[in-house]
Parts: sequence; C-alpha cells; structure tokens
Amino acid sequence: MNSQRDEEILTRGLRALAEDMKTLGAPDELEAKVLKAFRARQVVTPIARRRLSSRYWPVAVAAMLLIAISVVVFRWNKETVDTPRQAVKQTPLKNQPQTNPENDNKTSVELPKEVEYQAVDAPSTRPNRKPARKAGVRRPENTQVANHATNEIATDFIPLSYMNAASLQDGGQIIRVELRRSALAKFGLPVNMDRYNEKVKADVLLGVDGMAHAIRFVQ
Amino acid sequence: MTQNTDLNDSELLRSMLAGDEEALALLYRRRQGSIYRFALQMSGSKTIAEDVTQEVFLFLMREGHVFDPARGSVSAFLLGVARNHVLRRLRVEQLLAPLTDDTDDDVPSMHASTDVCPLEDLTRAETIESVRRAVLSLPSKYREVVVLCELQDISYEETAEILGCAIGTVRSRLYRARALLLAKLRPATEAEDEGSATVKSARCFA
Repeated sequence: MNSQRDEEILTRGLRALAEDMKTLGAPDELEAKVLKAFRARQVVTPIARRRLSSRYWPVAVAAMLLIAISVVVFRWNKETVDTPRQAVKQTPLKNQPQTNPENDNKTSVELPKEVEYQAVDAPSTRPNRKPARKAGVRRPENTQVANHATNEIATDFIPLSYMNAASLQDGGQIIRVELRRSALAKFGLPVNMDRYNEKVKADVLLGVDGMAHAIRFVQ
Repeated sequence: MTQNTDLNDSELLRSMLAGDEEALALLYRRRQGSIYRFALQMSGSKTIAEDVTQEVFLFLMREGHVFDPARGSVSAFLLGVARNHVLRRLRVEQLLAPLTDDTDDDVPSMHASTDVCPLEDLTRAETIESVRRAVLSLPSKYREVVVLCELQDISYEETAEILGCAIGTVRSRLYRARALLLAKLRPATEAEDEGSATVKSARCFA
C-alpha cells in the first residue's frame, strides 16, 4: 500500500520535472551557429572539390601518357630483340627433324646472315605482329634464299677439312648445288647403289673468302 | 518554405542533404528541443547540452546519409546520436572531475543532504529539484531509460531503437531505475535508520 503511494508520488514528481523542462530548448544563437556551419559547408565543399580536381587532372593525364608511352616503347623493344631469335630457333627444327639438339645449337650459332633472312621470313608464332627489322640487315629485293622450300629435309652442315669457325664470323653465303650421289660416301653418308649415278642436292656454305666451309645434303 | 513545413523528418533530412538550408532550419526547430532536454537531463549541464545539440546537427550534416528509415525514425536516430555524444562527454567529464572546481556544474551534488521528505512536505519546486538530483545520480544505463520513457515520454519501442536494445531490456531497466529513485527519495530519517549515506549510495549503484 505504502509502496503504491510512493510509486504514485514518484510518477507525479517525474511528470512535474518533465513539465518543468518541457519548455527548455537550445539557445537561439545555437541555431545560427548550426546554419552558419551548414552554409560554410555548402560553400567550401564545391570549391575544395574544384581545386582538388583541377590540381589532379594534369597529373592524371601526365601519368596516363607516361604509362602509354612506356608500354609502346617496351613492346617495340621487345619485338626488335625477341622476334628474330625466336624465329631462328624454330626454323631449323622445322626443316631438320632428324638432327640432334647439340648439332642444332651449333648450327644456329654458326649460321651466317643469309640464314637469318630465311628465319625472318618464317611464319611467326604471333601472326598480328610485324617482324622487326634491324637497320643494315634488310634483305635485298628478289634475293633467292637457299632452303626456302619448307618440305625439304636436310642433313646438318658437315664441316669441310679446311673449316675454320673464325672465318664464319664475318658472314657467308649458301649456294645450292647438285652433286653426284657418290659424293655422299666421301662424307661418310650411306649411298644407294641403285641410284649411284643420280645427282643429289646440296647447300654449300661459302665464307667471305670464297672458300667452301661446310656442306649439307638436301632431299 | 511552405512546402517544407508539410514534409516529414525523413524528407527534410533528404532535402537538407541535397543542400536545402530551409530544410535544416525546419528540422532543427522541430528536434532541437528534445535533443537539448535529453542531453540536459542526462548530464545536468547546460554547456554539455548545448554542445551535444550542436554536435548532433553537425553530425547530421556530415553523416546524414547513414540514416536508414527502415531502422527507425529520424527522431530516434538523432536521440541515439545525442546519447552517444552525451555518454562520451560524461566519460571525459568524469576523468577531468578531480582536476576541476566543478564551477560549470549546473546541478548540485547528487548526495546533497535533505532534512525533510521531498515526497510529502516540500513545495513543488523543491520536489522537482529533488527528483532531478535523484535522476542525475542514477547510473547512466538506468538514467537514460528514465529520461527517455518518463521525462521525454517516448514509447518503449522507440526507446529500444534509440538505445539499441530489446524492449524487454528497456522495461526491466525502467523498473530497476524506479526502484532506485524511490530509494533515493525516501526521507533522510529512514535512510539514516538503514545506515549511512554511503550505504545508500552503494545501494543506488548496485
């Protein structure tokens, strides 16, 4: 009973307090401050954004240009350096399936410039790219290149007795010739005696001195 | 302006975020009173109440887009923000209390002695003052439910939204808070019979 009376008195006291504070509110100057802050925010923000964008646009454009130029230069360098080597490695493998890897390496290293011309003409693994051209290595018009036919099978280059590797450093020339089949025996190759008198095709590698340095037989 | 007066709080908030100053002014006039009173009843300090009111509306300008109508009303959202600011300020004030002379305190000490029973004999003004002191002396988790449910006359549901708790929690806290208030407002003589003022204080914070 007593506690119920206390509850009522407490409720009345709380209501009286609420009633007493009901009219209270923030001072008027606070509204002015808030509105001023709002106005400042509305004015400052666009200016800040404009400044920010005007400051960073040129930097962004410059960065984009730099990236684009870097990509172009990088790709151009990569093409000039990589493409010929890649093709040179592929061509002998295509044309000489019977050879072993050691001999292939030697051949690719010792090939003179004319062989490189042939390699450049070989179909690239990247069809859309133009083959890179080095200054001074341009192939003359209408030049016949040995071993241009892709369906030919050739032996390794067999060094001749007076072969000197140093003499090939300055380049050379490959000449297609026809020899008697008996000539195969002189290089230790097997000869079909039934076709002994027939002729066989061969590529002779001539040095700048005009001497024959190596020979390979073609079928 | 005439159009804005017809808008509800959510629409005013949207207009305000779109840059409409009139919408902010209208929303401020509608809601500043409850925010200010809540902060004042929670802290007992006009300075804190003014600061909190200002902070709430500055927050609304900056982060008003986080308001989600599906989660409650703008009023509840603003009171929730106000509550966070008040509690933060009170924590800071608590830390600074030993270093200050308490000159800014608008409310007398919560343990001020009373020689007469405020529930029966005192005038209305004295009763109000006693109740105010008693409310301010409550722990914050009980104080906020008393302020919201009893003084601000906000429903349990909305109070739960503001506090981020279940309605059942609001009810139980309010029950406990009223019991604590009754204990505080009982005659000093009874309190003396039960023990010292320290014991009474300890019971309040139990």
